[in-house]
Order: sequence, then structure tokens, then C-alpha cells
Amino acid sequence: MTARQEQHYVCISCPIGCPLRLVHEGDQIIEVEGQECNRGAKYARQEFTDPRRTFSTTVPITGAVYGRLPVKLSAPVPRQAIPAAMAAIRLLSAEAPVRLGQVLLRDVAGVAGVDVVACRTMDRVMITPSDDPSSAT
Amino acid sequence: MFGRMNRRYDVVVVGGGPAGLAAALGALDSGVSRVLVVEREPEAGGILRQCIHAGFGLHHFREELTGPEYAERFVTQVMDRDIDVAPHSYVTGLAVDSSGHRLVRVLSERGGLATVECRSVVLAMGCRERTRGAVRIPGTRPAGIFTAGLAQKLLNLDGYLPGRRAVILGSGDIGLIMARRLTLEGCKVEGVFELMPYSNGLTRNVVQCLDDYGIPLHLSTTVTRIHGRDRIEAVTVAPVDETGRPDAARAWDVPCDTLLLSIGLIPENELSESLGIALDVVTGGPKVDSTLATSLPGVFACGNVLHVHDLVDFVTEEALRAGRFAGEHARQIRRPRDAIALVPGANVRYCLPHTLSADRPHTVYMRAKTRMSPCILRVGNLLERRLRFVVPAEMIHLTIQPELLERFYEDRLQIDLLPVDGGGVP
Ligand SMILES: Cc1cc2nc3c(=O)[nH]c(=O)nc-3n(C[C@H](O)[C@H](O)[C@H](O)COP(=O)(O)OP(=O)(O)OC[C@H]3O[C@@H](n4cnc5c(N)ncnc54)[C@H](O)[C@@H]3O)c2cc1C
Ligand code: SF4
Repeated sequence: MTARQEQHYVCISCPIGCPLRLVHEGDQIIEVEGQECNRGAKYARQEFTDPRRTFSTTVPITGAVYGRLPVKLSAPVPRQAIPAAMAAIRLLSAEAPVRLGQVLLRDVAGVAGVDVVACRTMDRVMITPSDDPSSAT
Repeated sequence: MFGRMNRRYDVVVVGGGPAGLAAALGALDSGVSRVLVVEREPEAGGILRQCIHAGFGLHHFREELTGPEYAERFVTQVMDRDIDVAPHSYVTGLAVDSSGHRLVRVLSERGGLATVECRSVVLAMGCRERTRGAVRIPGTRPAGIFTAGLAQKLLNLDGYLPGRRAVILGSGDIGLIMARRLTLEGCKVEGVFELMPYSNGLTRNVVQCLDDYGIPLHLSTTVTRIHGRDRIEAVTVAPVDETGRPDAARAWDVPCDTLLLSIGLIPENELSESLGIALDVVTGGPKVDSTLATSLPGVFACGNVLHVHDLVDFVTEEALRAGRFAGEHARQIRRPRDAIALVPGANVRYCLPHTLSADRPHTVYMRAKTRMSPCILRVGNLLERRLRFVVPAEMIHLTIQPELLERFYEDRLQIDLLPVDGGGVP
């Protein structure tokens, strides 16, 4: 038989930020305390069983007004998959034009259904003198 | 049309951020047809272009968007309508001629200096970051010190990582978001140091940007000295007492090559000041009536240039209104002057607009001075509402219905945030 243990979280479902205490025996959740509403308990359970996060970053892009294209994950990934997802995105690059929502990579870090998508449209722009002339079209 | 600038407009909008774009749409909705947005950057979108994190649009679109996605929705709407946008163009001044037209001076990369004639102007220049001068940290002046927003711009638009080992002063949301961003890019963030005993940012940002990545948040602590000759090498940090005085005996050094300042934003009011527009000393932005008109006739203000917003959704709401009123003004529709002054009372840092009328509903924005939970929001003797929770970081909004003001004969209406029995300041 496993002993009772507890985990502490801060609910981020609303600005109040209730301090939550989740009591469990192994994988079994016994109770959640400290929440002022039901969303707190739901949040603590999710955090305990499968904490998920999303993040944004950029990838290099050529032929656009700026050198970076902002990208995001189409859905949250398990928290521990973030470094692997970030490493995979680091290998990406893009070339203008790119459309908002365009998929740059599917199933990032092996998480089925989570894609890396462009957060904006970037048109192809005319080359300015400071750019490399060899990349001109 | 993007890139087109004529000589004559109904409404000219200064700044093409979310406020400027919504103001242009609002103006068009009010029935005018010639609207120009002047933007100094190569494209519209404002600060949102560099805010690549999610957290925008929950109120306006009921979904969580990144900054660039939110901006693009409005840029697309503006492009679909007949609105001119002049990029690479900077508004340097404004004058009023004898026939009552406003003359906007625009300096642009291609066209040089030009004068654009219009009937109404909307100021939507956004805000700027407080810099180190504003906090006066002693020590050297080496390279490697950035405001958090500048570092965000360098990293997210240009792909330039400011350093490898960073200290962040101030726990505003931009600082917290940059802590996570730098960590993901392989820069070690040594800690976030906050003078106040609580974080100035949203709890969700403390949890998701610091706790998730094991970045320490040191409350009631500040940077007392900067070290390094050419490049910053370390900072001295020290705990502060209740009066904010650092305790040198408990100070320690933190090696770093980068210091980010996230110590607050102030409205970009250079232009407003040069025009002699009356400013509110608390918000740092113009004083406005219930049509968001400033003290200079025909000149309106919205977005961060009026007061610093935490949510872009409210910027959009405010700017749509400012644009509509600017459009009405251009069409020579005049409203009676507001008869009621709206003033901040107990625990209210500021409230906007500065005056109200009794003929239509008004959206009022305000900020609390301290954290209270729960509390009572009281509007004169007219209205009391119980709020579960208020913090300075989150703007409070309220609609005042005209029925409420029907039998209000005074010229001054005060807003208070009062503690409730059993509640108070934790
Ligand atoms: C770094 C940061 C992070 C944020 N994070 C969030 C968030 O997570 N969620 C959220 O909802 N909100 C967030 N906000 C708040 C929100 O993004 C802003 O309140 C909003 O973008 C303000 O819009 P604005 O149009 O007033 O200003 P801006 O977006 O700053 O636009 C002002 C524009 O005016 C232009 N301009 C200025 N002066 C002139 C001139 N003289 N002539 C021509 N053009 C000029 C500027 O170039 C700029 O494009 C954040 C704000 C900042 C600063
Ligand atoms: S438990 Fe409810 S009240 Fe408390 S922070 Fe979460 S959502 Fe807000």
C-alpha cells in the first residue's frame, strides 16, 4: 500500500490564483483543497495526471520583411515534451511567402495531432540593398 | 490601400497598432469614407507583431490567439475596407488652420515631408517602456542592458539573442514572458527581481513562465549596482525593507551578461505634449471626455497612448469607439458637452473617461491601487457592485447606463473601491 502524499499547485484558470493542495496515494487522487470554485479542482487533476503546455517561438525566414517567422503549437503538448519540441523547431526554416496557419511540421516531438504552424502571413518582399544579392529572385 | 497617402482625409489615425487599426474601422463605420492610418514601421500591427506568445483575443474573439494572429485579423479587415495605410511614415506635428481643418505633418521615407488635411485626428501611438534612468541604478553604464520590450523585438523580429545569462529586473508581464522566451532559446535566466512584495504580472505568467522552468522570483528585492566595463558582468541585488530601502548587509552578486528592465510602461506622449494637450498626471495620457476627445478639438485618443492596457481586447473596444466619435466629428455631428466629472476616490488609481454625459451608456475603465478581495465598487450613490477580487495589474471595466444618471443633478461622480467586512487587503 502506498502512503498518502500531496502536491501543491496555483490555479491559473482565473486571476485569483487559488493555492491548491492535491492529496494522492500513488496515481489515485484522494482530494483537492483550496479552490474557490470547481475549475480549481479540475485544474489540479489535469496538472497531476497530464500537465500540458504550449509555447511560441520563431524560425528563420528568407525573402520576408523580417528575418523571423513567429510559430506556435496547434495544441498543448505534455510539459516534458517541450525541450524535444523546441529542438525539432530549431531545425526548421521557411521561405516567404508563408500563410497564416500554414503547417511547418506535423506531430512535433512525436505528439500525434500537434503541429507547428505559422502565426502570420509573410509576403515575399523586394530585396533591399542590405540583403544578400544572391538571394534575389 | 496599403502604401497610398492622399492630401485630404476625413480622419487621420496616428499609429497602426491594434488601437489605430480599430479606430480606422470605427471611423469608417460611422459613415466617413476617407481614412488614413500613418505608421512609422514597415507594416501595421504595432507591438503585437513582437508579442508572439498566446493570450490575446479571449474577450473579443473568444479564442486564445498569439499577438501576430490578433494583429493580422485587424490588418486584413483594414485592407478589405477602403482605408489607406502609409507605412514608414512618422507624424511629426499637427496644426489647425483658420477654416478649422487639421493639418497633419507626415515625414515619410518615400514622400519626404508632407501635409495632410483632415477634420479629425485619432492619436494611437501606443506606449514606451520606462528605462533605467527612471530607476537610477548606480554603477557603470556597460552594454547588455535592455528594456524587456526591446529585447523582445530583437529576439522575435530579428532573431538576435541579447545574451547567454540574464537577470530580469521587475516582474511585469513582459519580463515574465521574456524569461520563458530566453530560456527556450538557451539563455540562462538567473532570476526575476521585484521591488514589491508581490508580482506585478499575472499569476498565470508567474506559473507558466517562471515556475515551469525553475526560474526564481525574488520578491521585495532589487538591483542595487551594475558591474562591468564594456559589457555588463554582474549585478548586485539586495532585499528591501517596507520603505523600499535596500539592505546592503544581505546583498549578493549575480553574474550575468544581460540585464532586462521590465519596470513599467508609459503612454507615448511626446506628440500630445508638443500640441499642448492636457494630460492626466496619473495615466500619463491625455484627459478625455466621454467621446474620447482630448482637450484639443477634433483630436481623439485611444489604446496605450491614452492609458496602458493589459489586454488588447479592451484596446480594440476603446479604439472602435474613438474612431466612431472621430468620424462623427468629421461629419460635423456635435454632441452636447459632458456635464459630469468622473473622479477617482478610495483605492482607485485612475478612472477614464474624465467626464460623462447622461444621454447614453458609458464604458468606464479603472485601476485599483492595491489588491483587495473581495470589495465593493461604488459609483457615487448610484451603484454598488461586489467584486470578488481586484489587483492593480488588471483593469476593471464597468458600463454606466443612462437610466442611472437620469436623476443625477450633481457635477461630480466619484468611484470608490471599498473593503468588505471579512475581506480586505491580504
Ligand atoms: C510587450 C507587451 C506584451 C503584451 N502582452 C499582452 C498579452 O499577453 N495579452 C494582451 O491582451 N495584451 C498584451 N499586451 C498589451 C497590448 O498588446 C497592448 O495594450 C496593445 O498592443 C496596445 O495597442 P496600441 O495600438 O495602443 O499600441 P501599439 O501596439 O504600441 O501601437 C502603436 C503604433 O504606433 C506607431 N507610432 C507611434 N508613434 C508614431 C508616430 N508619431 N507616427 C506614426 N506612427 C507612430 C508605433 O510604431 C506602433 O506601431 C502587451 C503589451 C506589451 C507592450
Ligand atoms: S479555483 Fe476558481 S476561483 Fe480559484 S483561481 Fe481557480 S478558477 Fe479562480
